[in-house]
Amino acid sequence: MKVFLELGWFFKQEKKAYISGVFLLLIVALLQLVPPKVIGIIADHINEGTITKAMLVEWVIVLVGVGIAMYVLRYYWRIMIFGSSVKLSKILRNRLYQHFTNMSPAFYQKSRVGDLMAHATNDLSAIQQTAGAGVLTLVDSLSTGGFVIIAMAFTISWKLTLICLIPMPFMAMLTSWFGTMLHKSFYKAQEAFSSLNDKTQESISGIKVIKTFGQEQEDIEDFRKQSEDVVQKNIVVAKIDSLYDPTISIITGISFFLSIAFGAKYVLNDELSIGELISFTTYLGLLIWPMLAFGWLFNIVERGRASYDRVATLLREKVEITDHDKALDTLPYGDIQYQIAEFTYPGDSQPLLNDIFLSLNAGETLGIVGKTGSGKTTLLKLLIREFEGYQGEILFGGQKLQDYKLEKLREAIGYVPQDHFLFSATVAENIAFTDPTATSEEIEHAAKLANIHDDILQFTDGYQTIVGERGVSLSGGQKQRISIARALLMNPEVLVLDDSLSAVDAKTEEAILSSLRQNRKGKTTIITSHRLSAIQHANLIIVLENGQVIERGTHEDLMELDEWYKEMYVHQQLEELVEHGGH
Amino acid sequence: MEEKMQLSEREQRKILFRLLSYTKPHKKMISIAFVLLLLTTIGDIFLPYLVKIFIDDYLTPGKLEFQPLLILGSIYMGIQIVKAVLMFFQFVKFQEIALYIIQQLRIDVFSKVQSLGLKYFDKTPAGSIVSRVTNDTEAIKDMFVTVIATFIQSGFLLTGIFIAMFILNVKLALFCVIIIPILLFVMNLYRKLSSRFYLDMRERLSQLNAKLAESLSGMSIIQVFRQEKRLRQEFGDINEQHYKAGMKNIKIDGLLLRPAIDLIYIFALIIVLSYFGITSFQHSVEIGVIYAFINYLDRFFEPVNQMMMRLSLYQQAIVAGSRVFRLLDEEELAPVQKDEETIAIQQGRIEFKNLSFSYDGKRDVLKNISFTATPGETVALVGHTGSGKSSIINLMMRFYEYERGEILIDGESIRHFTKPELREKMGLVLQDPFLFYGTVKDNIRLHNERLTDEEVKEAARFVQAHTFIDRLEDSFDHKVVERGATFSSGQRQLIAFARTIAANPKILVLDEATANIDTETEEAIQTALAKMRKGRTTIAIAHRLSTIQDADLILVLHQGEIVERGTHQELLAFGGLYHKMFLLQNGAVERLEDVVNG
Repeated sequence: MKVFLELGWFFKQEKKAYISGVFLLLIVALLQLVPPKVIGIIADHINEGTITKAMLVEWVIVLVGVGIAMYVLRYYWRIMIFGSSVKLSKILRNRLYQHFTNMSPAFYQKSRVGDLMAHATNDLSAIQQTAGAGVLTLVDSLSTGGFVIIAMAFTISWKLTLICLIPMPFMAMLTSWFGTMLHKSFYKAQEAFSSLNDKTQESISGIKVIKTFGQEQEDIEDFRKQSEDVVQKNIVVAKIDSLYDPTISIITGISFFLSIAFGAKYVLNDELSIGELISFTTYLGLLIWPMLAFGWLFNIVERGRASYDRVATLLREKVEITDHDKALDTLPYGDIQYQIAEFTYPGDSQPLLNDIFLSLNAGETLGIVGKTGSGKTTLLKLLIREFEGYQGEILFGGQKLQDYKLEKLREAIGYVPQDHFLFSATVAENIAFTDPTATSEEIEHAAKLANIHDDILQFTDGYQTIVGERGVSLSGGQKQRISIARALLMNPEVLVLDDSLSAVDAKTEEAILSSLRQNRKGKTTIITSHRLSAIQHANLIIVLENGQVIERGTHEDLMELDEWYKEMYVHQQLEELVEHGGH
Repeated sequence: MEEKMQLSEREQRKILFRLLSYTKPHKKMISIAFVLLLLTTIGDIFLPYLVKIFIDDYLTPGKLEFQPLLILGSIYMGIQIVKAVLMFFQFVKFQEIALYIIQQLRIDVFSKVQSLGLKYFDKTPAGSIVSRVTNDTEAIKDMFVTVIATFIQSGFLLTGIFIAMFILNVKLALFCVIIIPILLFVMNLYRKLSSRFYLDMRERLSQLNAKLAESLSGMSIIQVFRQEKRLRQEFGDINEQHYKAGMKNIKIDGLLLRPAIDLIYIFALIIVLSYFGITSFQHSVEIGVIYAFINYLDRFFEPVNQMMMRLSLYQQAIVAGSRVFRLLDEEELAPVQKDEETIAIQQGRIEFKNLSFSYDGKRDVLKNISFTATPGETVALVGHTGSGKSSIINLMMRFYEYERGEILIDGESIRHFTKPELREKMGLVLQDPFLFYGTVKDNIRLHNERLTDEEVKEAARFVQAHTFIDRLEDSFDHKVVERGATFSSGQRQLIAFARTIAANPKILVLDEATANIDTETEEAIQTALAKMRKGRTTIAIAHRLSTIQDADLILVLHQGEIVERGTHQELLAFGGLYHKMFLLQNGAVERLEDVVNG
C-alpha cells in the first residue's frame, strides 16, 4: 500500500476529483443496499397478503429513483477516478518525455531504447491501474463490503451474518493466492511467447540460410515445437484462470446453503421473516464482488509499486549538461580554439583524446581526417557539448563554451551527424526542422545548396513526401544531403559535417563543397571525412591517430610531408578509378 | 506498415467466418466442451429451483422433516460441487481449443512465410512479418479465449435462465422478454460507439509510442538543433489527444457498460416485483417463485456484463485477422521448380547463358552474363560493391526468379531440378554466416538428423574449425547465443564452412567474408577453402584477391557486366581494372602513384 503514499502528490493535486469520486462511491455503496431490502419487504407483504397498491407504487418509485441515482453516480465516479488515473499517466508520460529530452548522450549510451519505451508504456499503464482500479477496489471493497455486512447484521440478523461470513475470507485468500500463481504462470507464458517471437525473428533474418540448406520443413517443425510450448504454458495459465469461477461458485454456494439452512431455522423460530431471508441472500450476492476485489487489490498494488519505483528512479537520473547561472545569452561568434590536454569517455579507462591544441579563425575551414576510432567525431561532440569533462578548454570567440547558454551555442552550430537520422515527416518538415515557420523558398534554397533539390522533385509528392522510418526509403546519399540541407537552413555560424558526404559520389561531393564555399563566405566550416577529397581545400587539415594530432597543415604541406596523408590520398585516387571501372 | 484499416461489416463477417473455420479439426473436443457447458448450465438453473422447492414445499408450510431436508440439502451441495468441477473442466477445455486453434494458425502463417520468395522479404520489414506470426495471432487468441468462449457460455446460461423462467411462470417470463431487445439495443450501440472510440484510442496510443520511439532514437538530433521545447509540445499534444480519447472511452463505458446494465436490472426487478404484487391482489403467490425469479435475474446480468466488456477485443481481433489473412494470401512465392522428373546433378558443370536480371523491373543489375564453370573448376567473381556479384549467387541459389537468359547445370535448366536435389548438391556459404540459437553441433548439423555426431566432428575437422571448437566450454555442445555474437566473424565463418561440408555438396558457392578477420583465423580459413574447393565446382565471390589467385577463371564485374575475364596472370598482364584492384590491396605507395598519374 506504500505506493498510495508515494502517489500522494497526485492525489493531493487531484483531491477534488478523488474526494468527490470516493464520496460518490460511498453513496453508491449505500444505495446498493436498497433494492435487496425492497425485495424482502415486498416479498413479506405478498406472503402475508398485506400488500396494497399504494405501497407497491411507493416502492417502485423508490426503486426507480435509486436506479437512476446509481446510474448517474456510477457514471460520475468513473469519470472522477478513472479519469484522474488517465490524467496521471498523461502527466507522467509528459514528464518522462521532458526528462528524456534533457538527458545527454551519455545516458543514451547506457540505456536501451526498448527499455525506455517499456517504462513509458507498460510501467505507466501499471501505475494508471493503481491510481484507477486500485483506488476503486480499495474503496469499493471496503465500503460495499462494510455496508452490506452492516446492513445484514443490523437490519436482518447478526447471527446469520456471522455464520454466512465464515467461508468468505477463504475467497479473498484464494483469489489473492490464485492471483500470485496466475502472475507467475502468466510470466512463464509470456517468456515462452517472447522466445517464439525470437525464433520467428531469427528464422526471418536467417531465411537465406534456411532456404540454402532446404531446411524449410525442419524449421517449421521446430516452430511447431516451440508454439506447442507456448500452448502448454498457456494451458497452465488457463487452468489457474479457470479456478476462479468454480471456487467463487463453491464458496458462495456454501454461504447460500448456510444462510438458507440456518435462515430457515430462524424463520421457524420467528426470529426472521421469509422476505428478510430473501433480502439476506440477495445481500450475500452483493458480497462476492468486494471479496474478489480485495484479492485483486494486492496484485494491482504490487505491480503498481514496482512500476512506480522504476519510473521514479528514471526520473531521478541527473541532467548532466546544464547552463551555469551567468551563462551568456548571446550568440557565439569568432575564432575557435581547442586546448584539450585529455578527454576520456565516461566509463572508459583509456583517454580518447590527448593534447589537442589547435585554433581556427572565423570564416576558415578545418578538415579532420584519420582512421575510424581516431577521435574525429569526439572532437566535434565536445564542440556541441554533447560530452563534457575534458581537461582543458574549448574557446569560441574567446569565451569558454560553457560560458554560453547551451541553446545559444547550439544555435550557432549547424551539425550534420554521421548517422543521418530523419524523422517520419515530410521532406520539407525535415529540412525545416530547426524552424517550422521557414518559407518554401528558404527550404528549397537549402535543398539546392545541398544538391538534393532535383532528387526531391523526383519523389512522388515532391517536398511533401513522407520520409523516415515510416516513409519512403531513401538512399544513404539522399539522406545525407537532406541532413545537410537541414543544417544549412539555419545558416549557422559554424557548419559541422561529420563524415556526411561518405555516401554521395565524387561529383556530387564536389558540387556541394563548391556551393558551400560560395554561399558561406566568412563563416566557419569543420569537416571530418574518410575521403580526403572532401577536405582537400581546407585552410587547416589535421590528421588524428589514437586521439593525437600526427600531421597538420594544408593539403600541399601534407603532400609534401609524404606520410600517412599522402599515402591515403594516392590510395583513394586509385579506389576512385576502380569504382569507375578503371578509367 | 500498420496502416489504419476500416473494414466494412461484410468484410468483418468474412474474416470472422474464416477464423471460425479453424475450429473444424477440433469437432470432438468442442462437442465435449459443449456437453460440459450444457451440464454446468443445467446445474446453474437447477440450484435456485431447489431453493424454491424448499421454500414453497417445506419452509412456508412450516413442515421441517429431517429426512427429506437432508436429501434436499445433499442434492443442493452435490450439484454445487459437481457443477464447480464441471465448470473448471469446461473453462479449461474451451481455452485449450482456442490455444490449439491459434497454434495451427501460427504454424500456417509461419509455413507460408517460409514458402515466400526473397522478394517479399526485400519489400517487407522483418519486424512486421514477425508481428503477423506472433502479435496478431495473439490478438486473435484473445478473441477465441475470451470473446467467443464468453459468448457461448453466456448464451447457454441466458437461454437456460429463460427456459427456467418459462417453466416457473410463462406470463412473467414473457414480461421479462422485453428486456432482451433493450439489452440488444444497448449492446449494439456500445459496439458501434466503442469500436470507433476504442480504435481511435489505439491509434493515438500507437502514434504516441511511435513519436516516443522516434524521439528516443533521434534525441541527439533534437538536442543539437535545440528543438526540445517544440518536440515536448508536439508530444504533449499527442498525449493530450490520447488523454481525450481515453476520457471518451471512460465516458462511453460509464454510459453503456455496467452502470447501464445495472439500471436495466433494476427495471427488470420492478417488472418482477410489480407482477407478483399485482397478481397477489387476486390470489396468493408462491414465495419460492419470487425467490427463484429474483435469483435468476441476479444471474442473468453478469454474463451480459462479461459479454459487453469483451466487445472491444473482438474488433481488435478482426483487424489482426485481416492482416494475418493478407499474409496468408500473399502471392510473392519463392521460385517454383518444374520437377516432373527427378534428374540428379552428376558432374556439376555450371553455365550462365546471356543472363540479365533486374530486382525492380527497371534497372538491370546483371547484363548479359555468360560463363561456364567446368566440373571441379573454380570461377571467381570480383568487382566493386554493387557490381552484381551477389546477384549472380542469388539467382544461382534460386532466391529470385529470372526471366531473361538461362542458368544450366549439367546442360539442364536449373529450373528442372527438384528443390531438395539443388539444396543437397549446392552448398552456399554466406558472407555473414548466420548462426542460430542452439549449440555448435546444432549449427553444423542444422536440422539434418541423419548426420551422426562423428560426421559433424569430421566436417569441423576438415575445415579445421575443431581447433577453436575444442577450446570452447563443452566443445561441440557449446551454447551459441543469438546470431553467434560471442564468436569472431572468422569463427562464425569456419562453423559455416563445416555446415556446408557436412552436407557434402557437389557445387560450392562462396561469398567471402569482408569483415575484418584476425590473421590466425584468416590462415585457417584459407586452408579450409582450398581443401573444400578440391573436387567441387566452385563459384566464389572474392573480396581479398589473394584468395583466388589460383582460380581457373576470374570474372571482373562492373555495373552488372563482365568487363574482364581470365586467369590471375592474364588479368595482371592486361593491366586493367583487375590490375588496379590488385595494386590497391597489395601495392606500395610508389606503385600506386605511378598508376594514378599514369
